[in-house]
Amino acid sequence: MWFRKRGPEAQLNAELRYHFERLIRESIESGMEPEEARRRAQLEFGGIEQIKEECRDVHGRWLDDFGKDLHYAVRTLRRSPGFLVVSVLSLALGIGANTAIFSLINAVMLRPLPVKEPGRLVQISRIMPNGQPGVVSYPLFQYLRVNLQSISAASAEWAAEPAILMDGAEEVISAELVSGDQYSVLGIEATAGRLLEPADDVVSPGSPAAVISYGYWQRRFGLDPAAIGKTFSIRNNVFTIVGVTPQRYHGTRLGRYPDITLPLTMMLSDGQRRESTFNMLSMMGRLKPGGTIGQANAELQAPWRSFLEVEAVKVSEKDRPGILSQRAAVLSAYDGFNSLRRSYSKPLLVLMGIVALVLLLACANLSGLLLARAESRQREISIRLAMGARAGRLMRQFLAESLVLAILGGSAGLLLAFWLSSALVGMLANGSTLLLSTAPDWRVLAFTGAISLLVCLLAGVAPGWHAVQANINPSLKEVRSGGRRHLGKALVVAQLSISMVLVVAATLFVGTLVKLYSVDRGLRTDGVLTFSVRSRERYPQTRCWAVQSAIVDRMAALPGVASASAVQVVPISGGLWTRAIEVEGYTFRSDESEAVGFNVIAPKYFATLGTPLLSGREFDSRDTNTARKVAIVNESFARHFFGAQSPLGRRVTSLKVAYEVVGVVKDAKYQSLRSGVLKTMYIPWTQREGEQPSSYSFLARVAAGNPMRLAAGLEKLVRDADPGLRLRGTQTYSTLVDQSIVTERVMATLGGFFGLLALLVACLGMFGVLAFQVSRRINEIGLRMALGASRSGIVVLILREVAAMLALGSGIGAAAALALTGLAGKMLFGVTPTQPTVFILSALVLAVAALAAGWLPARRASRVDPIVALRHE
Amino acid sequence: MEQKSDLLQGTLDVLILKIVDLGPIHGYGIAQRIRQISKKVLQVQQGSLYPALHRLEKRGWLRAEWGEAETGREAKFYSLTKVGRKQLEAERANWDRLSEAVTMILRTAE
Repeated sequence: MWFRKRGPEAQLNAELRYHFERLIRESIESGMEPEEARRRAQLEFGGIEQIKEECRDVHGRWLDDFGKDLHYAVRTLRRSPGFLVVSVLSLALGIGANTAIFSLINAVMLRPLPVKEPGRLVQISRIMPNGQPGVVSYPLFQYLRVNLQSISAASAEWAAEPAILMDGAEEVISAELVSGDQYSVLGIEATAGRLLEPADDVVSPGSPAAVISYGYWQRRFGLDPAAIGKTFSIRNNVFTIVGVTPQRYHGTRLGRYPDITLPLTMMLSDGQRRESTFNMLSMMGRLKPGGTIGQANAELQAPWRSFLEVEAVKVSEKDRPGILSQRAAVLSAYDGFNSLRRSYSKPLLVLMGIVALVLLLACANLSGLLLARAESRQREISIRLAMGARAGRLMRQFLAESLVLAILGGSAGLLLAFWLSSALVGMLANGSTLLLSTAPDWRVLAFTGAISLLVCLLAGVAPGWHAVQANINPSLKEVRSGGRRHLGKALVVAQLSISMVLVVAATLFVGTLVKLYSVDRGLRTDGVLTFSVRSRERYPQTRCWAVQSAIVDRMAALPGVASASAVQVVPISGGLWTRAIEVEGYTFRSDESEAVGFNVIAPKYFATLGTPLLSGREFDSRDTNTARKVAIVNESFARHFFGAQSPLGRRVTSLKVAYEVVGVVKDAKYQSLRSGVLKTMYIPWTQREGEQPSSYSFLARVAAGNPMRLAAGLEKLVRDADPGLRLRGTQTYSTLVDQSIVTERVMATLGGFFGLLALLVACLGMFGVLAFQVSRRINEIGLRMALGASRSGIVVLILREVAAMLALGSGIGAAAALALTGLAGKMLFGVTPTQPTVFILSALVLAVAALAAGWLPARRASRVDPIVALRHE
Repeated sequence: MEQKSDLLQGTLDVLILKIVDLGPIHGYGIAQRIRQISKKVLQVQQGSLYPALHRLEKRGWLRAEWGEAETGREAKFYSLTKVGRKQLEAERANWDRLSEAVTMILRTAE
C-alpha cells in the first residue's frame, strides 16, 4: 500500500489529521455550521504541534537530531571550502599514514596462515646463539617427529629456486620442498587434483609428484584443468603435476609465494638425507587437541638431550661442550615461518609511533582551526543558547562537524593508505621480490574506523566545549577571550612539542643513514657490477676452474671493463664466513676465539673492489691447486697475529691445510656496514676444491659510467663460457649495498618526511594563531605605537611570543623525545638517542621554522598605522 | 454539562489496552469508546492519547496497521500484541488490587 512507504512524520500527520477531521464531522452531524465545527475541533485538539513533539519524543529523536546536525555540518563546511580542503587533506595524510603502517603490521605480525586452526601450529626448532629460531637436519627431523607425543603430525620444509624444463622451455621458479605430511599438518585440501601425501616421500624410480600453487596455475596454465598430469624436469628428475593448492594459501613463508611444491626427499642428495649436521629444514608440527606449546616444549627437551649426546660423541673432546650447549624449542607458528616479523616488527612499531604522533599533530592543528571557526560563530552560538538550546546539543553540533571531517579524512586516508602501503612494500623489497599483501581486511578497516572516530573526538571536543562554556558564562566575557587565546596557544605549543619529537626522530634516522653511507668501507662499491650463475649440472673440479676463469677472462675483455674478478661471499651483503685457524708462532688465549673471517676470491679481487694492497701481491695464475697453498690477510689480521713483524711468508693453518701469507690488504667491511672490521684471511679459488661456478659472485669494474650497461651482453657471455650456464641476479654493487640497509633507508626516508611534514603543520598552526592574534590586537598595537613604541619594538613584541611558545614546545618535546628515542636504540648507527647535538640541531631547525612562521604576522603588526588602528572597531 | 474526571496517572495505558483488546481500532475510536463506555465520565485528551499510543506501540504491546476506516479514508488501526495481552492481564489484576485497597481505606476513614 502506498502509505506504507511514507516516513514516520507523514504517518503521524495523517493519523492526527484523521482524528481532527472526525471531530469536525462529529460536530457537523450534530448540527453545527462547518466553520464553527472546525473552530471547535481546533479548540478541542489543542496544540497539534505539541502533540506531535510528544509523539516524536516517544520514538527518541537522537538519531533524527543527529541527522540534522550532520546535514548542518555538511552545509556549513561547504561554505568554507578552503578550510574543508586543508583539514581533510591533513587528516587524510595522518589517517592514511597510520593505516598504511598498520596494514604492514597487520600483514607482517598479525595475520595467521589461512589454514585450519593456525593457532595450533608450532615450529620445532633449534635455537641459535642469538635467540632466533634455526633450522634442523633431515635425520633430526625424522628423529623428533617420532619422539614427540604432544604433536599429531610434523613436516619439514625447504625453500629453493630451481630451474625447471617444461614443454621445452626453461624457467626459474620459486619452489617449496616439503615432506609428505605438510598438508595434513596444515589441514588444507586440494583445489584441484590431490596434494602431496606421505607416500610421495618414498624415493622410487617412477615419476615423482609435484603440486602447483593457485597463482602459478592461473599464471602459467590459465586455470586449465589439463595442467594436472603435465610433467617437467629438474636436472634429471621428471615430476608430474598432481594437484593445485587453495587460492588463499601462499605457502608457509611470509613474503614468498612458491609456484611449485616438490617432495623434499626427491630433492635431497643421499648425503643431505644422512648428515645430521646438515641443517637446512624448517620443521612444523600440529599440537594434539588439548596440548599446549609449553607441554610440547617440555617434552622436546629429553629427546633433544639424547640427540646432542649422540652428536657429541662424534666430535673431539674439545668441541663437546659447544655441541651440548645447543638449545631447541617449540615455538608458535600461527603465521608460519615468519622471518619478516623478526626483522621488521621493531622498525614497524617505531614507525607506528611516529605516524601516531603525526596524527596527533593533525588533530591539534584541526582543533586550532575549529577553535578559530567557533570564535567567528560566537554570535550565532550565543543566540542559540539564549533561545534555550542545551549545551549538550550545541556540543553535538561541533562533534558532527568534526565527524564529517573525520569521515572524509578517513575515507581519503584509506585510499592513500592503499597506495602508501604498497609503496612501502616496494621500498622494503628494494628491487627483490617481497610478496606481501597489504589489501585492507577487517582488521585494517576497523583500525581506520577507530582512529577516525578518535580524531573526531580529539579535534572536536575542545573547541566545542570551549565555545559553549564561554557563552554560558557571559559575565566571564573578558576572561573568555583570554581563555581562547590560551587554548589556542596551548594547541600551538602542543604542535611544536610533537614536531620536536618528530624532528629529533628524523635527525636520528637520517643521521644513522648518513653515518652508514660515510663509514669507511675499505672498498669502492661504485662502478662495479655483480652477478652469479646457475648451472644445469654439476661439473668435475677441473672443469669448474676452467669455466670460472673463462667467465672472468671474458668479462675482463669486455670494452670499458677495467678489472674483473669473483668472490664467494660478497662483502656487505649480510653473509659471513668464519673459520677456526692456527697461526704459526701464535698461541691463542684460552678465552680467545680461534675464528677469523674467511673468504675465497679470484685473482685481481682487491684491484676490482679498490681495496689497497699494503704489501706482497694479489693472487694470480701461479696459485694453482698443485702449487704451494697461499693466503692474503688483512691489516687487522696481520697486526693481531704478527704485530710489527712482516706477515709475508708466515704460515696459517685452516682445516689442516697450511697457507703461506703472500699479501696484506687494507681492512674492509665484511658482513655489513654496521659491523666492525674482522680479522680476515682470503684464499685463491683455484686452491679450493668442491665448489661449483654457482658458488661465486662475479665482479666487474668499469672505467667510467654506469656498470649496468654491461648487463645486456652477460647472458651470452656466460653461455659462451659454458653452454650449461645461466645468468642470474645481475645488479650493481651499489644496489646491493643499498639493499643491505633497506630498513635504515626506509626509516630515514619516512622519518625525514614525517619530520618535515610535522614542521610544516606546526608552522601553519603557529602562523594561524599569530595572524589571528595580531588582527585582534590591532587596537592595542596602535596604542603602543601612538605612545612611542617603535616598529622594531612591535616585531620584538610578537616574536617574543613566538620565542615563548617555541621554548616551551621544544622543551616539552625534548623531554618527551628523551623518554622515547631509547626505543630506537639498536636501529641507530653512529648517533646515540641522547646525543646533545641531535637535540640542539633539532631545536635549531624548529626555531628557524617557527621564526619564519612568526615573521609575517609580526611584520604585519609593525606596519600598522596608529591612526587607523585606534579607529579600528 | 457532564461531569468529567481526571484520569489517574498510569490508568490511561490500561484503558487503551482494554479498548484495543476488543478489536483493531484507531485513535479517534479509542477516545470515543472510552467516553461512551464510561458514560462520558472519562474524557481522554488527544494530547495524552497519541503519545500514549506511540509509547505502547514502541514497547511492543500494540501493533499498528494502516487500513480503511468506516468513513472510507485510511486511518491507523491499533491492535493488541501477545505481549500486550499479557500486560493487560497484569495491569487489570494490579488495578483490581489497587482499587480494592483504595476502597478499603476510604471506607475505614468514614
